[in-house]
Amino acid sequence: MSDWRILAAIAALGLVSYALRAGGFLAAGLMRESGVVARFFRLAPGNLFVAFVAAACFEGSWPSVIGCIAAVVVMWLTHKEWAAFTAGFSAAALAAAILVK
Amino acid sequence: MPMTIISDMASDSKPRFTRTAFRRGFLEALPFILSNGIAGMVMGVAYRSIGLGFIPSALFSVVVYSGTAQAVTLGMWASAPPVIPMVLACIATNARYLLIGAHLHQLFGKLRKRIMLPALFLLADASWLMTTADAKRHGPDAGYLLGASVPMAIGWMGGTALGYGMPVSMDGPLAVAAALLPAIFVASLLPIQWHGRRSILPWGLSAAVAVLVSWLIAPSWAMLVGGAIGTAASMARGDDV
Repeated sequence: MSDWRILAAIAALGLVSYALRAGGFLAAGLMRESGVVARFFRLAPGNLFVAFVAAACFEGSWPSVIGCIAAVVVMWLTHKEWAAFTAGFSAAALAAAILVK
Repeated sequence: MPMTIISDMASDSKPRFTRTAFRRGFLEALPFILSNGIAGMVMGVAYRSIGLGFIPSALFSVVVYSGTAQAVTLGMWASAPPVIPMVLACIATNARYLLIGAHLHQLFGKLRKRIMLPALFLLADASWLMTTADAKRHGPDAGYLLGASVPMAIGWMGGTALGYGMPVSMDGPLAVAAALLPAIFVASLLPIQWHGRRSILPWGLSAAVAVLVSWLIAPSWAMLVGGAIGTAASMARGDDV
């Protein structure tokens, strides 16, 4: 993929991110707390994250499963993201060293 | 019913933008340089592991500036990145900012847009939470929002650049683990999203549908379809958060 296409993809994602940050502020009067859209936005993140992790574990095999479980457990225990990343990465690398030939 | 998240602000509730509040926010958010820096370094390592150049990697964290959206879109990256699914994923994972922005309008709606719109570029979940708490104590001051956002942005953007340049050789098991960083990153967010037993059914549905879609259709659509089905189940049951 050429550099300009990569930069265009980043620009599109950046534009969307900023539009969401500013859009809620600008359209505050239009959004209703009990509306279907607002409820969807409140409920969606956890489900999206689970779906992403499940698909990644399915594609990535055992090192992915072990790394994700380690990250979840350490985050649960410590509430520290950096500790969860470190544990997840280390566990995935260890699993890959043992299981991937 | 219009958005009404908080109502108990300090007695002087006229919104302002002051240097004093900027300084207060900046100092209180300084620890985020370290925590966001470490997370940003993970992202930098992951970007290098997929062969992205330094400039695009740094730009990603500067322009998109969202750990969740970056991790998810990184997980979908391919030799020909699926831009439309990536944009949809970015919208889905960052849609909470619409609600956060709507809440900030309650605090700062009377300030000029030329002050607020640039400040919103650096809006982060943590700076919003800190600003909400500060508004209760000192009244709404957008200087605090910007001041608290700056260290978080420095940590994330600087961490990505540092992580990209780290002298770590990504071969063998380390390369396998680096490729899994987006999933590990998102997995670490799951405990924050857990709402007890009522999460079991929608999460189970989301995971099952995502695996099926990944297997039968394409991995790039797995998160969107699986997440949408799980969310629809939550809504049909009358859940809310």
